[in-house]
Amino acid sequence: MPTDMTVNGEARTSARDPLTPLIDVLRDEFHLTGAKPVCREGFCGACTVLVDGEPTVSCLTPVAMAGDCDVVTIEGLSSCGLTDIQSRLEQGDAVQCGMCFPGMVMTLSHFLAHTPQPNRDEVRAALTGNICRCTGYERIVEAALAVAGGRAEGRR
Amino acid sequence: MTVDAVMEFRRRDARDKLTGRTRYTIDRAAPGMLHAAVLRAEVASGRLVTVDTSKAAALPGVRAVATAADAPGRFGIGVSDHSLFADGQVRYVGEPLAAVAADTPEQAQAALAAIEVAIEPLPAVVTMAEALAPGAPLVHPDWQDYEVLPVGGARAGNVAWEATVVRGDVDAAFARPDVTVVESTFRVGRQNHMAFEPRAVVARYEEDRFHIETSTQVPWTIRNATARFLGVPASQVRVTVPPVGGAFGLKFDVAIEPFAALLAKKSGRAVRLVNSREEEMLTCLFRENAEILIRSAVTSEGEIAGREAVVLMDCGAHGGEQIFLTTMTAHTLGGNYKLGAVRLATRAVYTNTPPNGAFRACNGVYNTFALERHTDEIAAAIGMDPLELRRRTVLGDGDLGATGQVFEGDVLRPMLDRMEALRARTTPHEVDDGRLYGRATTVGTWFVFTGPSAATVNMNADGSATLVTSGVEIGSGSMMQGLPQIVAATLGIRPEDVIVRQADTDAAGYDVGVGGGRQTTSLGAASLAAAQDVRAKLLAFAAQLLEATPDDLVMANGRIEIAGPNGKGFTIAEVAARAQAALGPIGGTGAATRTGVPSMPGCVAGHFIDAIDIPVFAVHDCEVAVDRDTGHVEVLNYRVVQDVGRALNRSAIGGQIQGGVVQGLGYALHEEVSIDALGHIRQCGFETYRVPLAGDVVPVEVDLFEGAPSLGPLGIKGAGEVPILNVGATVACAVANATGRRVQELPLTPPRILSLLLGREPDLALPHIQPAFADNLLRPHGPEV
Repeated sequence: MPTDMTVNGEARTSARDPLTPLIDVLRDEFHLTGAKPVCREGFCGACTVLVDGEPTVSCLTPVAMAGDCDVVTIEGLSSCGLTDIQSRLEQGDAVQCGMCFPGMVMTLSHFLAHTPQPNRDEVRAALTGNICRCTGYERIVEAALAVAGGRAEGRR
Repeated sequence: MTVDAVMEFRRRDARDKLTGRTRYTIDRAAPGMLHAAVLRAEVASGRLVTVDTSKAAALPGVRAVATAADAPGRFGIGVSDHSLFADGQVRYVGEPLAAVAADTPEQAQAALAAIEVAIEPLPAVVTMAEALAPGAPLVHPDWQDYEVLPVGGARAGNVAWEATVVRGDVDAAFARPDVTVVESTFRVGRQNHMAFEPRAVVARYEEDRFHIETSTQVPWTIRNATARFLGVPASQVRVTVPPVGGAFGLKFDVAIEPFAALLAKKSGRAVRLVNSREEEMLTCLFRENAEILIRSAVTSEGEIAGREAVVLMDCGAHGGEQIFLTTMTAHTLGGNYKLGAVRLATRAVYTNTPPNGAFRACNGVYNTFALERHTDEIAAAIGMDPLELRRRTVLGDGDLGATGQVFEGDVLRPMLDRMEALRARTTPHEVDDGRLYGRATTVGTWFVFTGPSAATVNMNADGSATLVTSGVEIGSGSMMQGLPQIVAATLGIRPEDVIVRQADTDAAGYDVGVGGGRQTTSLGAASLAAAQDVRAKLLAFAAQLLEATPDDLVMANGRIEIAGPNGKGFTIAEVAARAQAALGPIGGTGAATRTGVPSMPGCVAGHFIDAIDIPVFAVHDCEVAVDRDTGHVEVLNYRVVQDVGRALNRSAIGGQIQGGVVQGLGYALHEEVSIDALGHIRQCGFETYRVPLAGDVVPVEVDLFEGAPSLGPLGIKGAGEVPILNVGATVACAVANATGRRVQELPLTPPRILSLLLGREPDLALPHIQPAFADNLLRPHGPEV
């Protein structure tokens, strides 16, 4: 049975078996390779996408569960340039191999939208489901705090 | 000419990586591409009776099947003991038996299930103790028939390679009346890289040649090893490398590339092969497990009159990188300190377990753990402050290393001073919360793996330059920062105007590969030479245009001008364009290799590198709190003083230090690999193999030590590999100081800590290391006879 959904603002239909992991539909059927299948057991967070606005590990989500949902992948996060968190990560020289960042960015975008002024521990806790093997996290945490700091500046 | 390539230049690949546009090997596809899968053995040891693929080959969608008959060759870094498929004997759980390519991944898996395999089980040796026991079954019964590189390591039975160092009269040193003898034993487990991108390849067979697109650090090794396995000329193999999603040494050896290449040739189609995470865990090429005995004769003043050590390294079922790494005991465990007399034996041991490989700073990590814990035990035995002992005994200007090489410059001692200053900037963390607090400072010695590198720089008529090397961007940023900075600074152009070609063995000359801290140093030296070649040509041509001599000219800020105020000149683009019209396009080539620092004649046997061209030193310090009830170790703060020679890009180096230290914290505390009695790796993914999370880490305080002598280009040293070197050592020493217990093993998981605190951890006995040094050797130290 085909699955209808909205992906990055466009109506899409997957012909795959309903139990196919969403990540495989996104990558193999829709050619959106930004989300990465790294652990395929929901631990690393590299495949995180937004499903109806919620960060979701697409490796453990059968495509049927995304039926009639609004799916946003890293490719659809911004239509004009980098978002604040992406800019801060770029400026902060945070990126190394880069495989974890599509998922990191999705998680942090959602987190910063819902927690406008987080402290360091809150950022660290928000990253529990997103593993990075290269960077040792510090610059990612700093970038998230810088986004929050920039917002505070903007309000003054 | 002096080149100032120091910049805070940001990497150009960050934007695509942040927006999901980067296409790693796992993201690549080709029209009509097939999907491959590899059938792997499920027993650790056995006689391979049958691999019958006839039913599998007849299944729908199956386009090609390959077995041992298709890959007759053998390969190995030191000993050619590695066949692509099990060759009549199964040596480890996970050893490849057959490979298939089919239209879909599901069809490929169905084909694997239809292959009929019969294996007659044989007794297995799963631990080094079992492998070294008298009468142990041999992992390679035909070890004597293998081709060996001409370096004289001793070999016999399950000892794949034995390297020895002897300098001075160790027996006499131990017999001195004024020495205290301190003996320590250590054991460490394996470490998994957990690179996010698994080993992955897309292979094609076109115009009678293989084109392999792969996630690797070593394009030329892939080229040469594939040719060896498949029995074809190496010139028939082309390797290109997309951005690599993490490597850390995992991808410093051939992996699954030859399977895809073979299936592509057989099917006539492009073939994709990607390891599952479970396969990655199973065939990880781990940092090896090791067992160490180290014994020293030390005076009450801290003089190390004599030192001897035996290091056992588990290479798994193939010798692989471990055979080479036996060399590094001399330069790590034999490093750091001035030694009167020394003898070292390092034995790479075959077991019926998955092969091990390279991992960031390799055996340096555990050799430093052993050496630094041993040093603290010496300090306790002679009643000297551990820091004072280090101050007195670290290698300084003119001191001899273990192999008799002469070290230049005082580096470690001033670095210890700098660490003290760094530490003084923060107040100790200790609070009265019932936890046990401890701190430690350690030192470490590592090296840069110099060796052949080639570079070409093409000067374009638009003022940009194209750098062509076999370098690979694995995440460290060397291709994005260090190398374009060097070329840009040499040519007086902006680093963003240096186009950096990713590795293609058809386009660039030979390179050892990206690893061993060599990318910015070795590839940098070649790139610098190539850029200087271009510079000289442009200056000579500009001098004609300007009716001057090249020495009168300056080349900077995109211009070539006559030196002095209001100097006449041209843009570099203009000079390049006019030179192109008059002479043809301007290009330059550069090459670099080992300098070859001498060791003392007769000191080493079986070593691949007798003395290190570019030593790299590190001083680490941390404070820990140990929870008595849970056994949890919290690292409260962490500091690094790192010898970088000259820092080309401080931000890039800072990122490597934070990342490397955190990988080391995982190794020190919770990254544990265990192998059951049947030879299965127990950890099969991120759920069971625990890597550091954001909540586990601390911001590392960093002080870059510049100015130490270096044979590297522009005085630089490799900076990305070494940050992990003494993390295990520092955490272990701090935990020992906090608990007052003898820390002899890593990782320091909560169960191990509790066991230490409760006095239930028995003192580590290694009965398969003989008490008398000579009894550990296959043959007495000396050249091969």
